Amino acid sequence: MKRFFTVFEFELMSYIKNRSFMITTILVAVLLGAVTFLPRFVDMSDMLGISSEKETSSDEKKEEPALLGLVDEKGYFSNTSILEQAFPNTQFVVMNSEKDLKKSVEKEETEAGFYVVDDMNYHYYVLNRDMSDERRVIFDKLLGMVHKQVYCQENNLDYETFAANYEAPVNCDEQVLGKDAADNFWYCYALVIIIFMVIIMYGVMIATAVTSEKSNRSIEILVTSIDSKYLLFGKVFAGAFAVVVQLTLILGAALVGYGINHGFWGDKLDMLLDIPINVLITFGVFGIGGFLFYAFLYGALGALVSKTEDINKSVGSLQMIIMIVYFAVLFQLENVDGTIMKVCSYLPFSSYSAMFVRVGMGKVVTWEVVISAIILYASIFFVGWLGAKIYRMGTLRYGNPIKFSNALKDIKNAE
Amino acid sequence: MKLEIKNVTKSFGEKEILKGISFSAESGKALGLLGRNGAGKTTTIRILMDVFHANSGEILLDGKSFEPHKVQIGYLPEERGLYPKRVILEQMVYLARLRGVDKTKAIENSRKWLEKLGVIQYEKSLLETLSKGNQQKVQLASTLVCDPEIVILDEPFSGLDPVNSQILQEVVKELIADGKIVIFSSHQMSYVEEFCEDVVIINQGEVILNGNLQQIKKEFGRNQLVVSDVKRAQADMEKLLYEKLSEYVEVTGKTKEDVIVKLSAGVSRNQFLQRLVSMEDIELEHYETYKPSLNDIFVAKVGEES
Repeated sequence: MKRFFTVFEFELMSYIKNRSFMITTILVAVLLGAVTFLPRFVDMSDMLGISSEKETSSDEKKEEPALLGLVDEKGYFSNTSILEQAFPNTQFVVMNSEKDLKKSVEKEETEAGFYVVDDMNYHYYVLNRDMSDERRVIFDKLLGMVHKQVYCQENNLDYETFAANYEAPVNCDEQVLGKDAADNFWYCYALVIIIFMVIIMYGVMIATAVTSEKSNRSIEILVTSIDSKYLLFGKVFAGAFAVVVQLTLILGAALVGYGINHGFWGDKLDMLLDIPINVLITFGVFGIGGFLFYAFLYGALGALVSKTEDINKSVGSLQMIIMIVYFAVLFQLENVDGTIMKVCSYLPFSSYSAMFVRVGMGKVVTWEVVISAIILYASIFFVGWLGAKIYRMGTLRYGNPIKFSNALKDIKNAE
Repeated sequence: MKLEIKNVTKSFGEKEILKGISFSAESGKALGLLGRNGAGKTTTIRILMDVFHANSGEILLDGKSFEPHKVQIGYLPEERGLYPKRVILEQMVYLARLRGVDKTKAIENSRKWLEKLGVIQYEKSLLETLSKGNQQKVQLASTLVCDPEIVILDEPFSGLDPVNSQILQEVVKELIADGKIVIFSSHQMSYVEEFCEDVVIINQGEVILNGNLQQIKKEFGRNQLVVSDVKRAQADMEKLLYEKLSEYVEVTGKTKEDVIVKLSAGVSRNQFLQRLVSMEDIELEHYETYKPSLNDIFVAKVGEES
């Protein structure tokens, strides 16, 4: 055990003495922390979409009204004020024909225009439709109202009575007693991305460290000095420790900073930074587990090549599995209690992200979390053992990269 | 301490690398492990160091099964390797600690060996900033940093200039004097001759010569003489011996100036000498016992086997 800590200490020092690692960690943590304090000192109400004192005093500085064309031969909207109420800051230009309307839109004299055919049909003209164009939705409602009025007239019904009963407002007082997936979606999304990035980034660093020991030939001295499993475990655990410290500093700065300045942000970042403690703990347990699981595999794959430039060939399949898990979890974020997520939350390849998403957004009971954690950590010991065997087997095999399947065969033959 | 290698075999796939080799090494003595490239020297060393497992045979230390992790071994592999981008002292301390030396002692030993090898001024430098010769010295210092009982040096002189070779020679002599088991693999016969009391020559995975070097030399030189004539060139002397004295001797080789001959069965040194001086135009320059160098023995034995 003492020798494991010797390896751990030496490998950890390589992270601590790595300037880019230290600078990135400190800089990102300080920047994120500083950003959370910004609304205290800078007026960000426009950016955040929250009201401020200045806003009310600057009412007079209104934007120029948008011009919309209208051809209404049947006179449903003879009084354009109804339209102008429904379309804020908009002025309607009444035209005589559909042709005129089309021309005016084409010449950009009006931003868009409506040609009303009857109380159930209309044409909408717009030059370039942007993604947030809601004019059609508004006009649908208005013409729908006109249609109801026409229907009431034709059938001798009182429109006011009809409307009051047909569209009677239903009151609902919603009380979310469990989890609100809508609120939890974004931080789960962010955490899935973070753990994915960490595994890929540090995994490759661990694989590179192992391959470097082969390429600089220090591996022969190392494996003759200490049991190879201590070497791989020390390396992987040092990487995991560095990740935990880095993430704790960066996430901690953001979460604590936001916690202090919560009020100044008008709750606008709750969806990202107001993460419940149970989700953070699950993220910690499964995130570390997932990292260790993949880090051992990265370490073993690093031992199968002798040149650092061959690492990508060796770890390609593993990266593919990580990518598949990443997309599977992301695409299932809106169906966290579905079968795919349930299965993913038990498999050691995917439970590291699927389980905390289920804890954050879905229905999951404690025993499920415990079983998934047991499966994950038991698998870590298995891949650790396997990784150490591959690491040892690959020690003095230089030349062409060794295939993972061949490595397994060789280990089986050696047993 | 006595380290014994008994009937060790090793194959890689279909290829048999070691075909049952046996030899032993003792404390306070250096054993020279010799052989041509690919003879099996490094494989033997790697089996000793547990890098490879032997297919059969056994390795004993003082009669008990040898476990390399339980004995302090200083191992300088043929493929040199340390961390180029790490500070020298830091990595030496790390290697010593991996072998179970505590941190304070590891620092002390590291400095002692760096000092002894004349590279103490680089203790805080990155390894990659040193010249190849100095890196080699750091490598040797790292080998010895754990106060080893057994020192295994695979081609220790390769890459060293004459001055650094001299320093290394002194270190090896000191290790021998300190009672360590030193196993020494090299192609440079002069170094082996200087340090090694015992030699093992491996050829194509088999031990073809094994024993005390002086004894081997004596044995090899037995019944062999070197002769030369003041008036004759080496080639003429060889011709004379071949044409007129073939009943007495057989020409077996040449040194730089002399001809090496082997006495025929039943012929004594005196008989051959009398016959030689009785010849009219002979004026002997050298007539003495042939003392073969290790190189001569190596070339003769390996050539014979090939």
